[in-house]
Amino acid sequence: MKTNYLIPNQFKRIGWFLFIIGIVLGMLFLLFQLDDINLFNFKIFSIAEQPIMGKTVFFSISENNILDEFIGLLLVIGALFIAFSKEKSEDEFISKIRLESLVWATYINYAILLISIIFIYKMVFFWVLVFNMFTVLIFFIIRFNWALYRSKNQIKDEE
Amino acid sequence: MKNSIKVERAKKNITQAQLAELVNVSRQTINAIELGKYNLSTILALKIAHVFDQSVHNIFELEESDWIS
Repeated sequence: MKTNYLIPNQFKRIGWFLFIIGIVLGMLFLLFQLDDINLFNFKIFSIAEQPIMGKTVFFSISENNILDEFIGLLLVIGALFIAFSKEKSEDEFISKIRLESLVWATYINYAILLISIIFIYKMVFFWVLVFNMFTVLIFFIIRFNWALYRSKNQIKDEE
Repeated sequence: MKNSIKVERAKKNITQAQLAELVNVSRQTINAIELGKYNLSTILALKIAHVFDQSVHNIFELEESDWIS
């Protein structure tokens, strides 16, 4: 089926590669507080930033540990590639599963966010927001692949 | 919507996989249509009818429940 909003199937592998590196680095980052390592400090251009207890500064050059930015890029780009690369046989039925999974993932994601807004406060809520950057895509990938797996399994039952 | 794809396949002696290839969709899709779990597009219905050398009406049939929204 012709779709202009999906990328070629080969990107799925690249996506998994980037995403897994992102997950591993992300875990290491959280476990060992790699924020404190100077090795990753670089001069960066920022559009806007606000130091703790300071004033917001626009369009400046400052120093930052870029490891967390790098991990964020890996996870987002990786997950986008996995989620929106074509299946080997992308057709109308698979498009329907794709759409259903996307709506389902959006519902679940915002249901969790709503509960978090009500019951989670302060720094823990900050971490909820951090994870929330990736969860829509992750929920989509899980639900979509599970539905695909189930429809493939149904064939085996028929035989 | 009811369909007689399974019967037509048996007459023509082709498998789900072969039909899928002829109309350029995945095997899951043919399977889901046969099981009545997926309402296919008009284009795909026309293609399937073409493969079986029949009119669409001979293969796909409306049911009472299709009129209830």
